[in-house]
Amino acid sequence: MSQKSQSKITVFHCINVFGDGDALPAVASASGELNFIKLPCSSMVKDVFLMRAFEAGADAVVVLVCAEGACRYVEGNLRAKKRVAWIKALLDEIGMDGRRLALFNVAAGDARSAKRFIQEALSVAAALGPNPAAARSRSDVALV
Amino acid sequence: MIVGEQKPISEIKQIIAPYQKVLILGCGTCVKTCFAGGEDEVAVLASALRLVCKTEGKRIEIEEQTVERQCEDEFIQESAQAVSRNQAILSLACGAGVQAMARRFTTAPVLPGVNTTFMGVLEKPGLFTEECSGCGDCKLAVFGGICPFTRCAKKLLNGPCGGSQNGHCEVSSDIDCAWHLIIERLKALGQMDNLRVYLPPKNWAASLSSGPRKLIREDHML
Repeated sequence: MSQKSQSKITVFHCINVFGDGDALPAVASASGELNFIKLPCSSMVKDVFLMRAFEAGADAVVVLVCAEGACRYVEGNLRAKKRVAWIKALLDEIGMDGRRLALFNVAAGDARSAKRFIQEALSVAAALGPNPAAARSRSDVALV
Repeated sequence: MIVGEQKPISEIKQIIAPYQKVLILGCGTCVKTCFAGGEDEVAVLASALRLVCKTEGKRIEIEEQTVERQCEDEFIQESAQAVSRNQAILSLACGAGVQAMARRFTTAPVLPGVNTTFMGVLEKPGLFTEECSGCGDCKLAVFGGICPFTRCAKKLLNGPCGGSQNGHCEVSSDIDCAWHLIIERLKALGQMDNLRVYLPPKNWAASLSSGPRKLIREDHML
């Protein structure tokens, strides 16, 4: 499916899920373009970061957080979960489809599960088609 | 603080539809605290509107700025240059801020992006509750610091209605009975005799019912 091979996914992840020494989930490049952004804690994934990822052309955005109860900062992953839910609703409101954004709990270093979640996001992105805002050239709309 | 909530994107889209260059102006005081119009909310709204416009193929330029307080001329002057660069201002301040901007910038359309809701407090993270109606004739000293005019659904000033159950209002079980709270509070303070104090009919002339109010402090005027 041609759309699937073109999907761009931005992955925000807590460094306690995948730190500097850990291998990031290897997903075949043919499946899509992955852009990993690491955060000191998933609670740092502010609303605007998620929105800007879509503005930058992501077809889907994935947030990988620690398992519930395993956050080093106690409630960072819970805060991230609430923010993601809020932005999913906003994406629905603006016609972008909230399914483009997903949060998954992953145990530290569990690249296998992370890979499965990213592939799931790629499938959703392929089913939904390209980011409707990115489908038009960036130069169509001036940004300040 | 003044509590408000951002208007739905569909309404904001409609409000800004005639314009191609829009300044989204946040306010860094009350509406920032209630997550309606601070710097972060300006950024998210700007991003959402850009995405919507790109999706719909509409050309728009959005500039973002946040000033400390939109209800004071001294602070809103900082936005003068940004205002001059744009066709309209979408203010994420309360209604007072929107009107202060409109007064300051007489030729620029100033549009509201927030529904100003009430004067209240942050009861716990994410929960804002209305506590004051700004009636201009405060009797909180008698009521143990709990306002029956604002917090009683029936606005009773002379004791409970008798319809509350387990400390909750009969209008809605989500509402605490203000008179239950007042009596509990006065008991704790040992001031139950306050309920025997004769209060003359409330002076509603000091409230908004008599039209927009002014507070004049001659000692601060030059």
